Amino acid sequence: MKGKRHNTRRVLSVDPTSRGLGYMVMEEERTPVDWGVKVTRGKTKSATVATVAELIRLYRPHVLISEDCNAKGSRRCERIRRLLDGIRDAAAKDGVRSVKISTRRVKETFTSFHANTKHQIARVIAAQLPELAPRLPRYRKPWMSEDYRTAIFDAAAFALTYFYARSRQYNSV
Amino acid sequence: MRTHHLPNYLRAHRKRSGLSQDDIAYLLGHRTAAHLSRFERFRRSPGFRLALALWVIFQLPPHELFRGEYHKVERVIRQRAKRLATRLAAKSQDERTLRKVAFLNKIGSRGHSR
Repeated sequence: MKGKRHNTRRVLSVDPTSRGLGYMVMEEERTPVDWGVKVTRGKTKSATVATVAELIRLYRPHVLISEDCNAKGSRRCERIRRLLDGIRDAAAKDGVRSVKISTRRVKETFTSFHANTKHQIARVIAAQLPELAPRLPRYRKPWMSEDYRTAIFDAAAFALTYFYARSRQYNSV
Repeated sequence: MRTHHLPNYLRAHRKRSGLSQDDIAYLLGHRTAAHLSRFERFRRSPGFRLALALWVIFQLPPHELFRGEYHKVERVIRQRAKRLATRLAAKSQDERTLRKVAFLNKIGSRGHSR
């Protein structure tokens, strides 16, 4: 590594779905601290935001990572867009910096691992982070709806993309 | 200023092991997982025997499992050691005191800094 060694950074990555919210807390790119799905279906937007605020208070992350819904190619609905804005506002209130990452950037990052689809990306993540392997959903057939556990891998993909971008930045110094 | 380490990494290691809170509670001899949940949410710190039990379960020494707590204790002890060394050095300069001061200075400068 050419650049200055960076300190331990904890990130919280979230990926809201129709069911609730997948989350991943990581310290550096190989150290998952907590991961899972918080079910908030049927609850209000503020309840979901409160769930994330609770995670922020518990893990005191340095950065909150979420999807950039304004980026080209994003197909997020209006509810999720507003929810993510609410989550970012809650993070800002706690003094946590928000980072938005587009799905396009995630795909670009994982292309180098020969992973193009969501399932291939999830498999690469499960190989890199063996703790997540038991939660890897099975391959989704066209008639199947998305497994709720996919949200964990989507959140992990955002976090890993952030760390890879960061290490590239340090290596190029 | 945000601290770098969490008080403990129990949840991460438990999830990595694939065991549930109830499983760990059983191993610890608790009827419910309430205690463990409080440790995982940093509401409470386990006592000495429980810390040893968790060491046995996860095969990780307490300074790894309770990294944040360990660093907090280490910082306080180092500060006290430095203060005590200064106080002793000001009082007397005999051989016994110099040995104590050297030992205290060693405490002040060492540590599992991770």
